[in-house]
Amino acid sequence: MDKLFSGFGKKPLSQSPIIIVSGLPRSGTSMMMKILAEGGLSVVADQSRTADEDNPNGYFELELVKQMSAGNIEWLAGASGKAVKVISGLLEHLPQEYFYKVIFMEREIKEILVSQRKMLAHRNEELKSNDVEIEQQFQSHLSALKPWLVRQPNMEVLYVSYNALIANPEPLCRRLIEFTDTPLDLGRMLSVPSRDLYRNRASRN
Amino acid sequence: MKTLILGLDSFDPAVFEEMAGRNQLPNFEKFIQQGGYSRLEVCSPPQTEVSWTSIATGADPGGHGIFDFVHRDPATYTTYVSILPMRKSALGEQFVPPYTAKTFFEEAADLGYPATALWWPAMFPARPDIPVNTLPGLGTPDIRGQLGVGTLFSTEDEARKKTRFAKLVSAGKDRFIASLPGPQTQSRSGPQTIGLPVTLDVVDEKSARLFVDKQQVDLRLGEWSEIVELRFKAGMLFNIYAITRFIATSLRGVVRVYSLPLQIHPLHSTWHYASSNSFSKKLWKEVGPYLTLGWPQDTTGLEEGCISDDQFLDLCQKIFDRRIQILYFLMNDFREGVLASIFDDLDRIQHMFFRDRMDVVQGWYKLLDQLVGQVNKKLEAWNSKYRYLILSDHGFSDFRNKVHLNRWLLDNDFLSMQNGSDDLGAVDWSKTKAYAVGLNSIYLNLSGREGQGIVQADELEGLLTSIKEKLLDWKDPSGSPVIQRIRLKHEVYSGPYTRFGPDLVVGYASGYRASADTGLGKIPAISMEPNTDHWGADHCMDSDVVPGVIFANRDLRDFGTISFRDIPFLAIGKHLSQSNIKPPSQAAGEGQKDLEERLKGLGYL
Repeated sequence: MDKLFSGFGKKPLSQSPIIIVSGLPRSGTSMMMKILAEGGLSVVADQSRTADEDNPNGYFELELVKQMSAGNIEWLAGASGKAVKVISGLLEHLPQEYFYKVIFMEREIKEILVSQRKMLAHRNEELKSNDVEIEQQFQSHLSALKPWLVRQPNMEVLYVSYNALIANPEPLCRRLIEFTDTPLDLGRMLSVPSRDLYRNRASRN
Repeated sequence: MKTLILGLDSFDPAVFEEMAGRNQLPNFEKFIQQGGYSRLEVCSPPQTEVSWTSIATGADPGGHGIFDFVHRDPATYTTYVSILPMRKSALGEQFVPPYTAKTFFEEAADLGYPATALWWPAMFPARPDIPVNTLPGLGTPDIRGQLGVGTLFSTEDEARKKTRFAKLVSAGKDRFIASLPGPQTQSRSGPQTIGLPVTLDVVDEKSARLFVDKQQVDLRLGEWSEIVELRFKAGMLFNIYAITRFIATSLRGVVRVYSLPLQIHPLHSTWHYASSNSFSKKLWKEVGPYLTLGWPQDTTGLEEGCISDDQFLDLCQKIFDRRIQILYFLMNDFREGVLASIFDDLDRIQHMFFRDRMDVVQGWYKLLDQLVGQVNKKLEAWNSKYRYLILSDHGFSDFRNKVHLNRWLLDNDFLSMQNGSDDLGAVDWSKTKAYAVGLNSIYLNLSGREGQGIVQADELEGLLTSIKEKLLDWKDPSGSPVIQRIRLKHEVYSGPYTRFGPDLVVGYASGYRASADTGLGKIPAISMEPNTDHWGADHCMDSDVVPGVIFANRDLRDFGTISFRDIPFLAIGKHLSQSNIKPPSQAAGEGQKDLEERLKGLGYL
């Protein structure tokens, strides 16, 4: 029965959906953008942040995404059929008039926090709250976000486990091709997930 | 868009889960296996008409304006039934729609889809301006414009408290005559009841013949007649049509016949009964006659001993069967749009049997399971995508004690009486700070709002706190709290009508409910009494005490708590503007600032 229902009720589209890559910061969103780009999907990004030791493959970010809450949304008109990275905290600012396919990265929060701490250190930012508090806040953010996402008539969501993607990328990359409804190059997509990179990060926890 | 909705009034999650745990409801259980079952958060107060309206609009009462079964006119303190408001016009008093907030039916129609709502409460009178097919549910009056009571014919003087009484007078051997009291008309000498002569021939102790309006109705003892169409002459050229059923309940010794409340005839209604007229007529002619009263399962007749338990249950079954036939008839031609049908027999049955005959109640859960099984089978033939929802407006609970809330307000010095009657007419408004009207509502006697208001703005907060604290402290003799939760209107409601709502929304604990006297603003001599009525269970308590259910042909597990606000989205894939779904930044609660700082530090904001 679920199959009959899935995807039904979305607005009839005159345009292809916008592919949104989302998740908490350091949950693997940049890697997912890289996978999609390697597969052949156009991405909407600028050079505001370039590759560094935190994201050796690049950030794939668009500065304008941060300005959606201020009403700067015109750029979305050109994003149809392309991938844009929007962290989870900004999803609620996506305008209603477009249809989005959201690839939502999930990763162990403790791993995310370790990675964030390192990134903050690299950026010479001070830690203003401890990990226990911030973990609780991220958890309650996700607890509120997921029920909200499922209630959005213009969003279809695919949850992707970062850890599963690293461990066994092929089935998930196939699922991505199906979800984006785009003929992506599976072989090139599979070249991106880096077990070594993950191991390095995990081992430093 | 193609959506089928089955509304199962009062379907209780606790009863369901317990029976499902024993594998007694296999068709419902399939939904659980597929993640398509959840308890449903219902609106406050969890009253039938309020809740179904909140479901249809995705709004709490502040968004649609129906707060309680009974409202009051603040200027005069007079009470009225919230789902049967009337307005005076050049044509006399007319029923007006009880609310105008947009429903998902209307939204579907605006999107160009056919929409049908069967027996949905608070949809009388029909609104011809909205292209939604309706047969209205709760709130549809009898031909007198009232909620409706039946008539007991008897050879003995046995008048009841509410039921009309007509004496059967002997007119020969085994022949009796009486007059069936019909609609009222206005004459120079005041309102006059039009009667129809009735002749009853008792054939033997198990059968009789009833003659009324030139028709012969054959009666078998204890069995309901078919629906009978009646015509009352209200003037030279004006007739008022009605429908009813008769039942002979005793034909030996005392002769007794009972007739259901006289109900609107859908082919000859003087009011906008249904929308469209051709829709209701088509169903009548092609499926068969159907009762039209908003509460056709005659609980009053049962409570007053005019019919027996079995006769009441038989009536419920007949109503249920005809509704199923109508639903299936419409499903046969259903290609797109929204088709919703409410089955409310379970509500009436639980009111009457939940306390003492759980076997009867559970039998009806099984009956509904069979209905769902049959519908599921029909849906297998649907080869397009569709939405399928089954939901209830609230659950059910014990009603062991009747609470006379105005007496409690009097005992606690919030209300003052003059000598006289026991209703709001006897209240000394110059000394009264708060009063109760309806089943879950307390109003302050607010200066500038109430006709004789005395409570000033600067007293408001303290007074509300004081009532709230004292009510929460109220315990019954066994030490159990009477009130589970009491909230200010702004804590419960949002939307343009909030200011018209009660100042305090009273959520009774399980086992307690406001008395019917409280509903009408009466002030009996005691603040609480045991409920020994046949009507032994209820739902007008705190909304957390009586959650509803939702089943869907989609996975509901990601939704978290599902509430009435979600139903328009689940039904038509679109939130209505009043549904008020909060974005995650507002729903996540505290800590949002720390998160923002973290994200800024990481360069993501």
